[in-house]
Amino acid sequence: MDHSSSLEKILRSVAITLVLIFFLFPIAWIFLMSLQTNETILRIPPSLAFTPIIDNYTALITGQLRTAAGSLQLNFMQNMFNSVLLSVCSVALSLVLGVPAAYAFARFKFRLGEDIAFTLLSFRFAPALLVLLPLSLYFKTLGLTNTYIGLIWVYQLICLPLILWIVRGYFEDISPDIEHAYRIAGNSWWKTFTRISIPLAKPGIAAAGLLAFIFAWNNFVFALILASADKQPVTVGALAFVTASGIQYGQIAAAIIISITPTLALALYAQRYLVEGLSMGAVKG
Amino acid sequence: MAELGIAKVDKIYHSRKGDVHAVRALDLVVKPGEIVALLGSSGCGKTSTLRMIAGFEEVSNGSITLGGKPIHTLPPAARGVAMAFEAYSLYPPLTIGENMSFALKSSKLPQAEQDKRVKAMAGMLEIADILNKYPTSVSGGQQQRASLGRALVRDAGLYLLDEPMGQLEPQLRAVLRGRIKHYLREHKCTTILVTHDQTEANALADRIAVMEGGVLQQYATPAELKARPANLFTGTFIGEPPMNVFTADAKVSSDTVAFGVEGGATLTYPAADFSQSLREMLARTPRIALGIRPHALHLGDGPVKGKVMACQWLGDQTHVAVDVAGRTVVSVSQERVSRAPGSDVALTVAAGDLHLFETSSGKAIAHGGTLA
Amino acid sequence: MSQLAITSLAKSYGALKVFDGLNLEADAGEIVVIFGGSGAGKTILLRLIAGVEEPTAGSIEIGGHDVADIAPEHRGVGMAFQNFALFPHMNASDNIATPLRAAGADESKVAVGVAKVAKLLKIDHVLNHSPRELSNGQKQRTALARALAASPKILLLDDPLRNVDAKLRFEMRLELPRLLRQSGATVLYVTQDYKEAMALADRIAVLANGQFVQTATPEDIYMRPATLGVARLFGDPSINTADTVIETEGGTHVMLGGTRVPLADGYRGFAGREVIFGVRPESVEIGSTGVEAEVIAVTPLNERTVLLLQNPNGWEFLASLPSTASNIPEAGAKVKASFAAAGTHIFDRQTGERLHG
Repeated sequence: MDHSSSLEKILRSVAITLVLIFFLFPIAWIFLMSLQTNETILRIPPSLAFTPIIDNYTALITGQLRTAAGSLQLNFMQNMFNSVLLSVCSVALSLVLGVPAAYAFARFKFRLGEDIAFTLLSFRFAPALLVLLPLSLYFKTLGLTNTYIGLIWVYQLICLPLILWIVRGYFEDISPDIEHAYRIAGNSWWKTFTRISIPLAKPGIAAAGLLAFIFAWNNFVFALILASADKQPVTVGALAFVTASGIQYGQIAAAIIISITPTLALALYAQRYLVEGLSMGAVKG
Repeated sequence: MAELGIAKVDKIYHSRKGDVHAVRALDLVVKPGEIVALLGSSGCGKTSTLRMIAGFEEVSNGSITLGGKPIHTLPPAARGVAMAFEAYSLYPPLTIGENMSFALKSSKLPQAEQDKRVKAMAGMLEIADILNKYPTSVSGGQQQRASLGRALVRDAGLYLLDEPMGQLEPQLRAVLRGRIKHYLREHKCTTILVTHDQTEANALADRIAVMEGGVLQQYATPAELKARPANLFTGTFIGEPPMNVFTADAKVSSDTVAFGVEGGATLTYPAADFSQSLREMLARTPRIALGIRPHALHLGDGPVKGKVMACQWLGDQTHVAVDVAGRTVVSVSQERVSRAPGSDVALTVAAGDLHLFETSSGKAIAHGGTLA
Repeated sequence: MSQLAITSLAKSYGALKVFDGLNLEADAGEIVVIFGGSGAGKTILLRLIAGVEEPTAGSIEIGGHDVADIAPEHRGVGMAFQNFALFPHMNASDNIATPLRAAGADESKVAVGVAKVAKLLKIDHVLNHSPRELSNGQKQRTALARALAASPKILLLDDPLRNVDAKLRFEMRLELPRLLRQSGATVLYVTQDYKEAMALADRIAVLANGQFVQTATPEDIYMRPATLGVARLFGDPSINTADTVIETEGGTHVMLGGTRVPLADGYRGFAGREVIFGVRPESVEIGSTGVEAEVIAVTPLNERTVLLLQNPNGWEFLASLPSTASNIPEAGAKVKASFAAAGTHIFDRQTGERLHG
């Protein structure tokens, strides 16, 4: 039943607007900052009136940062490339390992199955710093420090549990009868897995992959400790703007805008897909 | 025991997608001590009606009276109505016995009388042995019986039973139907039973209100519903297996009435089997829908020829499906009948068992040779 | 040689024993109904035959070959599930085509095969619809079509009519025999509706307490139930029972509610045996002789009328008469009831087995 009066409707829209402003203000503010020089950003009192410039963006893209104290070499595009490479490869590896594992956990009862699944999840509980110290020692011994492979490996701590637990739930929601029906119709288990189970869990796999990608992208501390400048992602790379001659607010803002663009685009694209997948009700057949 | 009056009641649900008119201008009177079933498929408005009587929903229009007093503005507790819920709704922290006596606590009955009543009710519903158990530890059927007992044990002006027997164990159902009917009669309980199961409605009710699309289709005794359905909907809805329906063209001559049925067969009867007024009407509008109940369609010599599709003996009756010119026609016999699938068979029906409906509106024209 | 043979089949999950020592043979083209309550293990039995679960012990032979080591996709079995189990991401046509494609048929043959079975099941107009666009009845027909499409030798139907409404269930019940005969498959049909079982089966196997209690034709099951349990499961209303003792003084008889009810002389050998007297409600006759009873309630049941009767000694029983009968008493009437031999059974009170008189 819907008893809402027009007053209720107005109040509701006001509340929604306030919430929206609260959440979107920082992003809007940073976007505005990215179009200003340090001087206009820092002037007192602050003002919304300024001449937009794109110098911050060109500086990031060309790698030349001119400050009052002189010119500075920037690695930002390299950082960007590192972020993409690390996140994409980590998620891909996690999917390859995690989806079949999630299926196994969903469909088969085996000894210690629940314990193994829980242990994998518990990686997400522990603060990263807890494992970092021993890890950095091992990595030195193994020669993995400052390698992409090493970082991708460590990123599994972030991605794998997420994918495993989310996708497992989706697999559990698929009636085993649907898989049985496909097998009895004359198909091998592998074909059943690839033609029935995976397509039906696709919304879940996409959601898990997206979340894992965002978490991997936003990771800071693993890369800070285990990688040096040329392998660092944007999160760590942004530190370069804190220079001896001051903090380059304009460039940081531009860097943030550039670095959130891929995840934002992905999330917007996948949102449509996720909603469709979740409302499909297909799994219940 | 009181008379329930429902007058011009509407129920409209407002929603973003538009208004849903769940109950339309419902008029219904339940006499004191009468057992009435609201029968219909899901979404027909029967549950909305029940909830309005109980007070869980407001009426959008109209009034509901109990014993002459309007109750539709009262809160549920003040209406003097006892209800058994489809989802049982037993209180989980109380035992089955406590659940049943809970409603009696507020009455001024002496404790001994309360205990006696609960015990008798438990015996009737075959739950005497689980009175000390908690609802979650007994089966669905037992919970349903306890919920029914909790409602019936009270003294109320009106008893509302929402699908009260859907989960009952099949082996108990027939006996419990008998006992409950007996109890309601003995105590002169005015009762409204909401169900989608016509077997239950037929077994228990004095009168049945058939609802569809929020509209009351017919309100009559079970026998009348079967013999004189008001329209094609009630005709095909009431009766298991459902009525066979054919499009037919009537041909009235001076001494016969013939119905040319789709598929080619012609049913011919002496004119005397049909009233004068009906014959005149058929002469004017010969195109009709012809309804024949499976029990009235007999195997043997007859004008309708077909091939046996299936002949299924169920212990106390036989269902025979016959393919008549590509259509499945069902005949039911109380006897055991054996016919090989594929064999030829002829069917006959008496004029008195014909139901005639308008093709466009579905309104009944005639039953058994006389105008409806 | 039987098309399907199950020998000493057992299945347990850890300590939970579902069934043990099941034996069943089914001939080519035969329809065997597996009947039992929920939790009896009917569905598990079908899964074992299909090969998607493994038995704990025993063997399954299809066409004379032990299939223990044969994967489900190679057993030549078709199966329809209670929840339909349609592939939600494929339309009805692709669902039905699955077994044909898996068998390697070329697309023109697939199209012909799908069209043929769809026409048979009257779903040719919805072949392009995805499962969620289908009504329940159409889903159920699509699931059946998929099971039938590749003309399997063994057809396993797991309560296929359970999730459709009463009217559709009735229609399908009349349609199925012809459909199944045409397929020529050996059919194992699981249901918990006794009417469906009697209507469809060549033979019924009653599964209860992990055993086939009785495997026989519908006629034998109904007229000659092996145990009281079987007798109770078939018939609506269910069979009436009363505890009594067989006596032979002055002719074989039992005492029911203080009245002497004669039995066939064949029961003479069971003199003194504690038994349960069972009589089907439709075999209770209302007349001028027999057990005294008061009519407690009259409840119409379809074209029959069910009377709840109570003997002065407290015995409660039901009678089911055709509604057209002329002698239907009113509630409160005092009547006398006698029992037709055809629907009267005597069961041993200890074992529950039917005594043969």
